[in-house]
Amino acid sequence: MQTGISGEILKIENLSFSYEKTQQVLKDINLTAVDGESIGIIGANGIGKTTLMKLLVGLYTDYQGTLEVAGHQVNKKNLAHIREHIGYVFQDSDSQLFLSTIEDDVAFGPRNYGLSEEEVEKRVTEALEKVHISELRNKQTYKLSGGEKKLASIATILSMKPDIIIMDEPSIALDPRNRRNLIKILNEIDSLKIITSHDLDFILDTCERCLLLDEGRIIADGGSREILMDKELLEAHGLELPLSAGRMS
Amino acid sequence: MSSIEKNIRELDKLQNLQQRSHWMNSLHPLGKLLLSIFYIFVTVSFDKYSLAPLIVMAIYPLFGFIVGELSFKEGIYRMRLILPLVIFVGIFNPFFDKRIILEVAGIGISGGVISMLTLMLKGFYSVLSAYILIATTSIDDICYALRILRVPKQIVIVIMLIYRYFGVMAAEADRITTAYKLRAPKQNGIHYKAWGTLVGQWLLRSMDRAEDVYESMLLRGFTGDFSMRKHKTAATDILYPAIWGLIFLVIRFFLIKIL
Repeated sequence: MQTGISGEILKIENLSFSYEKTQQVLKDINLTAVDGESIGIIGANGIGKTTLMKLLVGLYTDYQGTLEVAGHQVNKKNLAHIREHIGYVFQDSDSQLFLSTIEDDVAFGPRNYGLSEEEVEKRVTEALEKVHISELRNKQTYKLSGGEKKLASIATILSMKPDIIIMDEPSIALDPRNRRNLIKILNEIDSLKIITSHDLDFILDTCERCLLLDEGRIIADGGSREILMDKELLEAHGLELPLSAGRMS
Repeated sequence: MSSIEKNIRELDKLQNLQQRSHWMNSLHPLGKLLLSIFYIFVTVSFDKYSLAPLIVMAIYPLFGFIVGELSFKEGIYRMRLILPLVIFVGIFNPFFDKRIILEVAGIGISGGVISMLTLMLKGFYSVLSAYILIATTSIDDICYALRILRVPKQIVIVIMLIYRYFGVMAAEADRITTAYKLRAPKQNGIHYKAWGTLVGQWLLRSMDRAEDVYESMLLRGFTGDFSMRKHKTAATDILYPAIWGLIFLVIRFFLIKIL
């Protein structure tokens, strides 16, 4: 649920995390984000992007350091509260959509938070309108195309009106038209967005700020253009210039 | 098409039926659930020789299939695994009860044959009425009705989760077997040496997927109980089961005396 907080909405200080004691996945992560920002997190495979995302939503709580969402420390006690403010769009939409129809799935979150049926109805309508799939409202989830599933997944989160929306590889397996459509829709959403992706062009089109992660640390934090046009920086950390970089330079 | 894919499609078709905008689908799930239970209860309560009134009890499944626009052929196909069990449950009765209790065109029919037929009909009708219920009511709605009936939350959630994860596991099984078959085109089925690995992979992958689904539920406020859409009760929601209930009672207590 949106808090109306307009300042610092996410605060991470000296965050470290390891699945096993011997190997740290994230080391000394520091990050603050304000309402309305859109932040892209990039990095090669297996450097801890998804782990960081899962820490933000409290799926792992045994971290070291400070992690605050909407002014609340992420810990087991605060989980219910944290999850009211933060929405997570899974990489695989099939994991996100588990009810029979789009309407039921989009209503799942608001119903769990005990909203009245009228409010649930309103939220579902608004969320579907935001991602331009109102006509799919009564469609069964298994009948959707990949692009429709992705938009429906986003609608399931928007209906909860979160302050922060986290997306794991949202452009994966989308055709060019659906990808373009998704970019347009994401740019229309005004909550704080945190997007992880290997699709650097997608990050360039949707995020004004970019974080480059490698070996569990933030290597660079700055404007997307600045970081994504830095060939040396990207190549030093297992990435390549986005395809659109050639057109821009 | 692989048999797993076929079964997934069957499940999808059943979900299609449940999502139709037919008036029988729109009835309150509690009324439909209670009606089905009551029908089964009345049906099985007939005496083992009460064949004639039991035949009249076919009126409910007939109505369900015809008015509910359900395909009888598909219904029988979907219930193919359970039907033989319920139909053949009384198959040995003719050997134990040889007393002639009825004569048709000079041919004596033993009590064993009659009781076998009544048992078959009872089982057959019960399965058909259950099918009518699940073809017109989604699992969420059935669980909603169960919760109204104060069935413990834990049981209802287990039913819902099994239903959710069933699809996940079936999809994983389909992916694994398809990947195997595409790389072993000359092989008929799956070689027994691969079974262990495939089943292990299937379980691990299903667990991963199930965990993702569960996490997705947790992140949207799931705290151990499904918050279901509340159904408003209309007059038809009460009249429909009430009228049928009355018909069953008339057949059970009055028609039985005439026939």
